[in-house]
Amino acid sequence: MAIAVFFVAAAMAIVGGVGVITFRQPMSSVLSLVVVMIALSILFLLLSAQFVFVVQIIVYAGAVMVLFLFVITLLGPARETGRGRLRFQAGLSALFVLVLFGLIYAMLQGITFRQPEKADLNVFGTVQSIAVGLFTTYLYPFELTSILLLVAAIGAVYLSRREP
Amino acid sequence: MSNDVLALLILGFPAAGALLLAGRGWRMPRLVTQIVGPGVVWAAFIVTLVLFFGGANGDFTYWTWIKSGSFSLPVNLLVDNLSLFMCLVITGVGGLIVTYSVGYMAHEDGPSYSRFFTYMDVFIFSMLLLVLAGNFVFLIIGWAMVGLSSYFLIGFWYHRRSAVLAARKAFVMNVIGDVGMILAAFVLFWQFHDLTYARVFSSVGKSDSGILELAAFLLLVGAVAKSAQIPLHTWLPDAMEGPTPVSALIHAATMVTAGVYLVARMHPIYDVATYAHDTVAIIGAVTALFAATIAIVQTDIKRVLAYSTMSQIGYMFLAVGIGAYSAGLFHLLSHAFFKALLFMAAGNVIHAMNDEQDMRKYGGLWGQMRPTSITFLIGCLSLVGVIPFVGFFSKEQILGLAFSRPGNLGLAVWAIGFVTALITGFYTGRMWWLSFWGKPSPDRPVAHPHEAPPVMLVPVAILAVLAVAGGFIQTRALGIGPSLVSGYLDRVTGGTGWEDTGVAVVLGLVTMLLAAGLFAGALRMRPWSARFPWAQRILEHKYYFDEAYDAAFVRPMDLAAGRGYRDVEELVIGGSLDRTGARTSWFAGYASLLQTGYFRNYALVFVAGAVIVAVLLVARFAT
Amino acid sequence: MLDIGGSQLDTSWFLLLGAILFALGTAGVLVRRNPLIILISIELMLNAVNLTLIAFSRQLENLEGQLFALMTMTVAAAEAVVGLAILVDIFRVRDLEDVDDLSEYKG
Repeated sequence: MAIAVFFVAAAMAIVGGVGVITFRQPMSSVLSLVVVMIALSILFLLLSAQFVFVVQIIVYAGAVMVLFLFVITLLGPARETGRGRLRFQAGLSALFVLVLFGLIYAMLQGITFRQPEKADLNVFGTVQSIAVGLFTTYLYPFELTSILLLVAAIGAVYLSRREP
Repeated sequence: MSNDVLALLILGFPAAGALLLAGRGWRMPRLVTQIVGPGVVWAAFIVTLVLFFGGANGDFTYWTWIKSGSFSLPVNLLVDNLSLFMCLVITGVGGLIVTYSVGYMAHEDGPSYSRFFTYMDVFIFSMLLLVLAGNFVFLIIGWAMVGLSSYFLIGFWYHRRSAVLAARKAFVMNVIGDVGMILAAFVLFWQFHDLTYARVFSSVGKSDSGILELAAFLLLVGAVAKSAQIPLHTWLPDAMEGPTPVSALIHAATMVTAGVYLVARMHPIYDVATYAHDTVAIIGAVTALFAATIAIVQTDIKRVLAYSTMSQIGYMFLAVGIGAYSAGLFHLLSHAFFKALLFMAAGNVIHAMNDEQDMRKYGGLWGQMRPTSITFLIGCLSLVGVIPFVGFFSKEQILGLAFSRPGNLGLAVWAIGFVTALITGFYTGRMWWLSFWGKPSPDRPVAHPHEAPPVMLVPVAILAVLAVAGGFIQTRALGIGPSLVSGYLDRVTGGTGWEDTGVAVVLGLVTMLLAAGLFAGALRMRPWSARFPWAQRILEHKYYFDEAYDAAFVRPMDLAAGRGYRDVEELVIGGSLDRTGARTSWFAGYASLLQTGYFRNYALVFVAGAVIVAVLLVARFAT
Repeated sequence: MLDIGGSQLDTSWFLLLGAILFALGTAGVLVRRNPLIILISIELMLNAVNLTLIAFSRQLENLEGQLFALMTMTVAAAEAVVGLAILVDIFRVRDLEDVDDLSEYKG
């Protein structure tokens, strides 16, 4: 059963990913990305990451993608016309991307993991355990990230104000 | 004040004078230069007198300069009879000459005037350092500085191309001598592992005479260059481009005598290195004759005196070469007196004749410049070696000792010296009669020359008195009477080891008479140059030494330098620099193509780079 | 091998999926010319990385992976915001369809 769920979600993700990079219309691309994100959140759930599953849907698919949609509607449907000026770009990109993928594939053969640490799988990935981690051991990164968000917000506001 | 401080003061006064005049002299009133310039030399003279009469004797070490392993080089001054003798000559005669030049150089403008005295004081300092040095390093330092001062002073009127060339020629030849000196120091260091006189001289007996011969020959190279003996003599006549006081001081009384001092100082080495020692005497004798013959045909009064100097120094070399050190040094003293006298008196004449130096345009000066003429005559007679002037006593003493010396060398050099003395009489007479006697030449630039001012006459007069009276401190040439000079100096250099024979004394008198006769007879000996035109030509070209050196050394060096410039400098060095630049430029032209400006290209390169690195890492670390 | 819901799942499948998504995202960044789509492709890449992180976290039973993924998400959000703000700014001045039109750093 879990395997079936995995494969369905995986297929969704791959289809969505291909859609992201192939659609002409940016709107369609964004929607494909949303599909990918939902697929990934299902996979997160499969991997005992309940909190991340929820956050992925609410924050990523819910907020960030919506932001993207707003901007696209603001900017209007743009179409990429013609073949573009860089002649070898597509060819070379395909080459390197394939090499990259092949590399990772090769690395995954014969991969051996170290001994897992004995964690209680019932509480693994729950809100409590995440909270404990965030607010004690990883408090410092957490605070820094919040500052980062603040800075980003200020930056966005500044960048988009109307010139007087 | 103790002797070591006094010794330092001898050096200190001229150094202070030079520094003051160099730094501030041209901004101060001329009177300051006129007082400081000669004044410091006289101050050094007084200090020297104090040390002389106090019988000072010592090797004074002030500081250790180099300490490396087992080798240490002190800064020391050797004050003994020999160095004090030289100091007396340098500061005494030097003082007179510098005083004289206060008047002679009066036509120079302010900065130039003090520049002259700066150079003179630097020279005096360097010469004193040379003779007072207690080790080879400072000897060489003084040696080189003397050469440098000579360069400055010969080329003093640097706007004159001939002066600059002459200065350069003198310097180059002096440097050859410096190299010889330095190599000699190397050899001595190698042998004795020390460079102080004290230790080297005391160890001479225990070492290999071959090495000492080598050192002695190398030192001889230095002496020959500095004293303008064959074969490094060609710079001296050209050096007459310098002002007359310079010729008097450097090229008569002091610098050119440094070679004689050197042989005397190094006598422990030369006493052992007999081949080199004999070579000294042979070089001296040959140069004496050679220079005297050239002096016969010179028309410039200063050139006659220059070749005469070369010849007389040949006598000094002859003397120290056969082992008669104090005799050579006595002739050094006497020559300083009468040659400086002759140069300065000639300077008076040149000054009065608007810088004309060609004797054929003089004539009849006896009637018009009586005091100068008298002093000049005294100088001439001294040079020829006529009793009772000092020149007789010093020259005849040398000839007498050469004649009496056991062995063939003495006789050979005596014969050369004898002939030279006769020729000396001739050219001196020619100089005298041409310039001072007869009717004034129709080409005279100045019809009524005025006598020199007192500041220029008094030093000349003092030297004339010394030339007259000086002989009587050492009358060994006559076989009787006081021998103050040899008594003083033999304590350092050792006595001659053989006695004069009575025959030598008689021969001395005969020589004098013959030379004096030629002096007088020169008045009537004009037509000989017409009878032997080829001889005239050879002499006028100074035996073609300059031409030979030019062809053998100067021309090839010029070619090599030109070649080197074209092939090495321009092609290789310049070319490589140019081409490196051009190549870099070319490369940059291609490299700039990478800057396309397209974001996506950059992203591609980004990814490509990451992929390549990843591949490399995996290849490296994958099992 | 992971024991999930009774079945055995191989972790490397998740990792492979992440790799595919990452490659797709890279291709999108390099090939597409619309700036918006480029930004979206970057988001795709980040998601792929998140997947990898969570997979490892589950395999090694260490919570750090999930926390890292959370941080990544936050940073991705911030970056998307600022990137879009800049894009809007540029769009105000000129109508941008092709990122190649922005090539002023030539030479």
